[in-house]
This record gives sequence, C-alpha cells and structure tokens, in this order.
Amino acid sequence: MSIETVNDLVIRGKAKLVPAAVQEALDEGCDATALLDTMIAAMDVVGENFKNGDIFVPEMLISAKAMKKGVEVLKPHLSSGATGALGKVVIGTVAGDLHDIGKNLVAMMIESAGFEIIDLGVDVPVEKFISAAEENPDVKIVAVSALLTTTMPAMEATVAAINAAPWRGNVKVMVGGAPITQEFADKIGADAYTTDAASAAKRAKEFVA
Amino acid sequence: MLTAKENMREVIRGGNPDRFVNQYEAIALLFHPYLMTQPLLQKGMENVVNGWGVTQSFPTNAPGAFPVHTPDKIVVKDIEEWKKYVKAPSLKFPQELWDAAKAMYDAVDGTKAYKASFIAPGIFEQCHYLCSIEEALMNYMEYPDEMHDLIKYLTDWELELAEGICSHLHPDAIFHHDDWGSEQNSFLRPSIFEDFFLEPYQQIYRYYKDHGVEFIIHHSDSYCANILPTMVEMGIDVWQGCMKSNDVPELIKKYGGKIAFMGEIDNKQVDFDGWTQDDCTKAAVEAMERCGNKYFIPCITQGGPGSLYAGTYKGIWDAIDRYNCEKFGLKQEDIEAARLPMNIMF
Repeated sequence: MSIETVNDLVIRGKAKLVPAAVQEALDEGCDATALLDTMIAAMDVVGENFKNGDIFVPEMLISAKAMKKGVEVLKPHLSSGATGALGKVVIGTVAGDLHDIGKNLVAMMIESAGFEIIDLGVDVPVEKFISAAEENPDVKIVAVSALLTTTMPAMEATVAAINAAPWRGNVKVMVGGAPITQEFADKIGADAYTTDAASAAKRAKEFVA
Repeated sequence: MLTAKENMREVIRGGNPDRFVNQYEAIALLFHPYLMTQPLLQKGMENVVNGWGVTQSFPTNAPGAFPVHTPDKIVVKDIEEWKKYVKAPSLKFPQELWDAAKAMYDAVDGTKAYKASFIAPGIFEQCHYLCSIEEALMNYMEYPDEMHDLIKYLTDWELELAEGICSHLHPDAIFHHDDWGSEQNSFLRPSIFEDFFLEPYQQIYRYYKDHGVEFIIHHSDSYCANILPTMVEMGIDVWQGCMKSNDVPELIKKYGGKIAFMGEIDNKQVDFDGWTQDDCTKAAVEAMERCGNKYFIPCITQGGPGSLYAGTYKGIWDAIDRYNCEKFGLKQEDIEAARLPMNIMF
C-alpha cells in the first residue's frame, strides 16, 4: 500500500479503509512521520476543496474522521507529541451559545493540520477559557466561536478577558461564526477572523510558522 | 385595496400586488395537537426531553430551543440499529384537543391572513436532532441505506400528522421548518440532498396541496440557491429565510413564477445589540428596491415573526409600511384595516 493511496483515501474520506492502508504502508516500511505528513497534506487539499465549494460539510467530516482513524494506527509508531507538533489550541463556543458544528469543524481542521486540540465544548464561560489557557501554558492559540448576534457580547467579554491576561503575548486569539466580521474582530482585539474552517486551519499554521 | 392575504397571493403568483407584503402580516402561524402536547420550552429551560426522546435546552439569549448532544443524550447511538432507538410519538389525539386547535384556526380572519399550520422540525433537522449533526451528516455518506430508511420512517410520521391536520383543522397554508444550509452553502451536496429529500418532501407537500392547502411556505434561513431546483420540484411555493448570500434578485429573475422568496433581511443586519431604526429602514428599503414586489416578500430571515432583540421586527415592519405609503400612495389606516394586528411569535 503506497503513501499516495493513504493520501487519496483520506481525501475521499474512506474511514473504514484508512486504518488498514496505514498499517499496510507501515508494514511495507513506510516512515510513520511521512505517513502523518501525507495525511496532513491530504487534509490541506480537503480544506481547500471545501473553501472553494467543491466539497460539502459531510465530505470534510468523513475526511477528518478518516485521518483520525489513520492517526490512531500511526500513534504507536510516532515520537511522543508528533501528532500535535504545531502546539496546543484551546477552542470553544461562548457562553449562552449551544452551536457546535462550526466550532467542531474548525477544531477538526486545526487538529488535522497538526495541532493538539483542547475542546471546551459549547456554552463556555469566560473563566473556563482563561483557566484552560492557564492550565496549559504552552497554548499557542485560543479560538472562540459565536453563532448568534446575542452571543457576540459574550465573545467580546471572552476576548477582553484574554487580552487582559498577563500571558496574552504568548497566544493568538482567533474568532469566527456566522455573525462575526473582520470589523468586529478588530474592534474586540482578536488577532484573526476567518470565514471557514479551512481558512482557520491555514491561519493557525501561519501563526506558528 | 387588497387584503394582506390577497396581496400575498398576488405577489406569489406574480399578479398585481398593490404594495409589498410586510413580513408575516398575511400568515397566521397556528399550532396543532402534536405541538400543543409537546413540552414548550421557555427561555432558560434546560434538558427537557420531547416525544422523540430528544433533549433540548433554550438558552436565554438564543432564538429558540437547541438539541443537546452530549454523548449520553444522543438518541441514535448506532445508525445501523436506529430502529432500536427511534420511537415516533403517537399522533392519536382526543377530539377535544383537535377542537381546541380548531377554535384557534376559526378565530383567525381568513380573509386577511392565511391560516398556516406550523410544522417543525423538518425531516433533515429531525435526523440531526436524533443522531447529532455531525453523525447525521456523515451518515448520509457512510450509511445511505439506513438514512433512507430512517427518513422514510420520519416521512410516514409526517404524512400521518398531515392527515390529522388537514382533516381536522383545514389550513390553507403550511409553514414548514427545515434548515438546509449555512449562510454560505447547503449542508449537503445538491445531488445528495435530492437523493434523500426530494421524494419525501414531494409526498408531504403534495398531500397538503391535495387537501386544501394553497401555499407551502418553507423556512430555511440559509444559502439554498444551489438546491433551489429541488425545492421547486418538492412543491414549495415560498422559500422563507432566503439570506442575502443567495443573490435573491438574480434568483427572482431565474425562478420567479416557480417559487417566491421571503427574506433578504438577514438577522445580523438588524438584530444586534445597539440596533437602530435606521438600520431597519436601510435593510428593508434596500431589500424592496433590490427585489421588487413580484415573487418577493421583504422579511427578517428568522423562521417566525419576531427578533432576538426587542423591537427589531417592528422596526422593519414600520419601515415597510412607510415605504408602502410613500411608494403606492396608501394610507396607514387602510393598511391596518386590511390585515391582522402585528403578532410577535418569538
């Protein structure tokens, strides 16, 4: 099984086939890191296809699932921390907001790009974002989602609290969600706003490059 | 001067409307025994389980109740075993309940507004209420046979509901929720959407049309331009919730006469902390001038009269009235006399 096959199966979201393909490639002597890199590259393609409207949410989800299954097989063969080598990202949907699909897509794409995700879930109070960042001093990015105009103030409060933290200089703050705009992101002092999950992953990589 | 209802009919059919329809002014949204017997979540209520076993919460600052999908609360634990988990609630209701519902329909002046049965959630939404949205979306790709079977089960239930509604309540419109996309795209690839949902919705909407319903109004506040041909084939007469991202003026040119559009005023344009009447007026006037009054109804995109922030819906309402008076030489009192009083649902 070639490394190209693994790449192709991830792009096509063949979650049931990827584990065996990765195992076979390993058995044939493929380097584990090279296999991880090819899956990350596959998810780059998936992200770009999604951004361009060539694929839809379900296709992106099954590709992310396929990669996750592949990584499970790879993990014992990788050095510790290799799968989250780009650093930690804290992510959550703000207090009062139960939307999770957008946040989850961003989390999947960022994880697939090589980050370790600390997913706080939905309806996350400001204090939880702050404590998660403080408990993980190596966090590189805090990503905050809001899907309602009524929860934009909660996003503003969350970003304000992060901006006031003594460790602010060590992290980047990313925001997103249907009602969010670049103008709003600038106003509340976020470092980045992106319109979709693929762009979020791309921007996250740029931050740690 | 036409009543609000007559005017809406002219708009939908591309006839001779004498003004813009003002949002939901010509649609009286009415419940039926199924909704009347389900837990009615109020703001702030948490973890309430409905007849399908779906747990919902209603955060205080959200527009409506949301399904809760922590692993312990997902109804369908395994899509291959969905029959084990999904049990449709009974639609057998005592006559008194139908009578109570019918009294609400009878109380509406049917010359001024359509008596529209309110149906929610739709089949697509019910699938992700039951499975969680991510699992449901992946299931369309990975377990298509099981999803077809689940959708058939939900469709049969909806047809039974339709039978009860039509035989007891005699609505002349249906207001049916089912959100099919985000602001930027449909959730499903159009071919997949068609494969799963065209036939079920054709069956349901055809049933209503065959039993006295004049118009099917379908709510999806999202991008749906790419699935619009399928929506037309389903038998939808009015798409409520069409967001600006769809390029509605272009859609009217292309599909006017096959389907009408109700929306173009996105909540985020007007429904935010610190909104002003100017925001409402600007959004409403822009929508009317961009789209015209044939096959188009200017309306907030959310799926019922009201808004998240108090006053926004009325702000748009007042702006449309003013525009109608100025543009068509109408008097406010005549407009009021031709419609029901403004009703805020949310």
